[in-house]
Amino acid sequence: MMPGVDPWVVREAMRKSAPTLIFYLVLLGLYLALPQYSQFIATILFYAILGQAFNIFMGMTGYVDFGYVAFLASGAYAFSLAAIALSNAGITGWIFIPIGMAFAALVAAILASLVGAIALRLRGAYFAIATIGVNEGLRYFVEGANLFGGSIGLYIVKNLKALVGREGYQLAATLLADLLMFLLAAITVLVTGLILSSRLGYALQAIREDEDAAKALGINVTRYKVTAFIISGMLGGMLGALNWALKGGVVEPAHVFFILYTVEAIVIVMLGGAGTLLGPVFGAITYIGLNYISNVYVAPILEGVGIKATGLHLIILAPILLAIIIAAPNGIVGLLKERVKNPRIRSFIT
Amino acid sequence: MVDVGLVVANLVYGLLIGIIYGIATVGLNMIFGVLKIVNVGHGAFIMVGAYVTLLLFTLAGVTPPLTILASMAVGIGLGLIFYYLVIKYLVDAPELATLLATFAIGVLLQEIVKAFMGADSRGFTWNLGNVEVAGVSVALSKVVAALFSIALLGIIYLVIYRTKLGLAIRAVVQDREGAMVVGVDVDRIYAVSFALGIMVTVASGSILAMYLQSGIHPYMGEIYTLKGFVIAVMAGLGSIPGAFIAGILFGLFENLSYVALQSIEGIQPLVLTRSIAFLLLLIILLVKPSGLFQR
Repeated sequence: MMPGVDPWVVREAMRKSAPTLIFYLVLLGLYLALPQYSQFIATILFYAILGQAFNIFMGMTGYVDFGYVAFLASGAYAFSLAAIALSNAGITGWIFIPIGMAFAALVAAILASLVGAIALRLRGAYFAIATIGVNEGLRYFVEGANLFGGSIGLYIVKNLKALVGREGYQLAATLLADLLMFLLAAITVLVTGLILSSRLGYALQAIREDEDAAKALGINVTRYKVTAFIISGMLGGMLGALNWALKGGVVEPAHVFFILYTVEAIVIVMLGGAGTLLGPVFGAITYIGLNYISNVYVAPILEGVGIKATGLHLIILAPILLAIIIAAPNGIVGLLKERVKNPRIRSFIT
Repeated sequence: MVDVGLVVANLVYGLLIGIIYGIATVGLNMIFGVLKIVNVGHGAFIMVGAYVTLLLFTLAGVTPPLTILASMAVGIGLGLIFYYLVIKYLVDAPELATLLATFAIGVLLQEIVKAFMGADSRGFTWNLGNVEVAGVSVALSKVVAALFSIALLGIIYLVIYRTKLGLAIRAVVQDREGAMVVGVDVDRIYAVSFALGIMVTVASGSILAMYLQSGIHPYMGEIYTLKGFVIAVMAGLGSIPGAFIAGILFGLFENLSYVALQSIEGIQPLVLTRSIAFLLLLIILLVKPSGLFQR
């Protein structure tokens, strides 16, 4: 079952992952060479990973998880709680990063197994309905029961400084957090490549095309769906831990459970091309670009006629998403695959 | 231990809000029943109705019950616009397409309202005095809101079971191809059903605003999307009378769980009842995903 044993699978996974990995290497080069743009590049990176991790489930199964941001939130909470526990116990040093990340992945995996075990026995619409509640349900549970700081959340800067010192924290929250994000991006790409090339990927594809037929062929559809859901959730949990807990130092429920992140993940995946490797990367770049244009060029014009422009990008995003769903359901990568005839270039569009 | 007066009061309030939850879910189930589309943007249409009432009442002094008519007109308009611009092209598309599309429509409505009205929470005061219901003193405006919900349900019932149009809608629900063969214009029936479903939903937003008179903001619909789904799944997706009964059950359940949670110290019961809705949803999906009223 586990991919990676068969050398053909590994070779195929590497071939599929290579174009996307090259892109991340270029991005890393730009990040190191242009420090003045480093936070802009880190933003693109965050959204590319978000899309990539979300894509593993939505893109490959055709099921949509409207509560996906809950995984990022659970990872951020888990990482923060681990950091607090370690600093209280006096276990200082860099060990908190691997421990915190492992705990973040574990908690996200537990959440994914619980939700998946219940909701993934259900078909499309019912699954989507179940996930709509996950995010809000968890958020109001944390706030209502006054768990982990209730509606205020967790502030862990003090704990991080206790763990690795003032200078250590400065490094951890800036360069180190970003480099770990690049590492997470590479892991996410390789995992996607391995899934696409392995039995799991073919089973998921069969499920997406026709779930009843897949079932009739003897494919254990629930098991494969839950596996993809857990992998996607774990990667999301680690992303939340790195970006919000380690880099931001703050985990506020109103922010980490913000539904906007799920909307953005959906838009990025659909824009780039669901179920593809390069898709989320193209999606993230296009999305950030559109956002930039709307904030810098469109917003002032609307402000001039008296329309408040904060959060305006969603007003533009929603019609774009509708247009993609109707006119180009396979996204940018789908359009490229149709246009490019040269087989050598085509093999790079994965 | 348990204060009996408090329980009775919450039963009365639960019944009243439950009736409104019921009418607020009828549109969701109608659209699923006919078009087999889950309207993920459901709550945003409720929000639009609340704003129609807020604006007509505060700016033009229109009495809230009359604003329901305006909301019905707005609902039919929005329903037809979104059907012919978007939904029409997705009726036979994979489920993912309609889920994402209705979600995007909801986001669009929220952001448009936010752009023009701002994100602040607003309210109004429409005081009719109090009445006694089962020994509990209740604002008359809340009772009126519940009565208008029942009237609206009556209208929908008449349209579906007593008109030729309703006959055609029911024919499409039963057998789409069969209806086509006997000359029913299925595309038109889809458009009309979608518009009717959105009409009830927007109108229920007006009724909700009449009941609450506060907390009207662009994102207020999200919690009603969640509650709507809990109720719709409880009723069985697609069932219209089921949606109404399940709405009442949910209203009662929510208010009683609030009473129970109040006795626990150190928590915020009102916030926690929102989680209860979700927990109930998971339990129903686990135990009886086809709904309480269907086999």
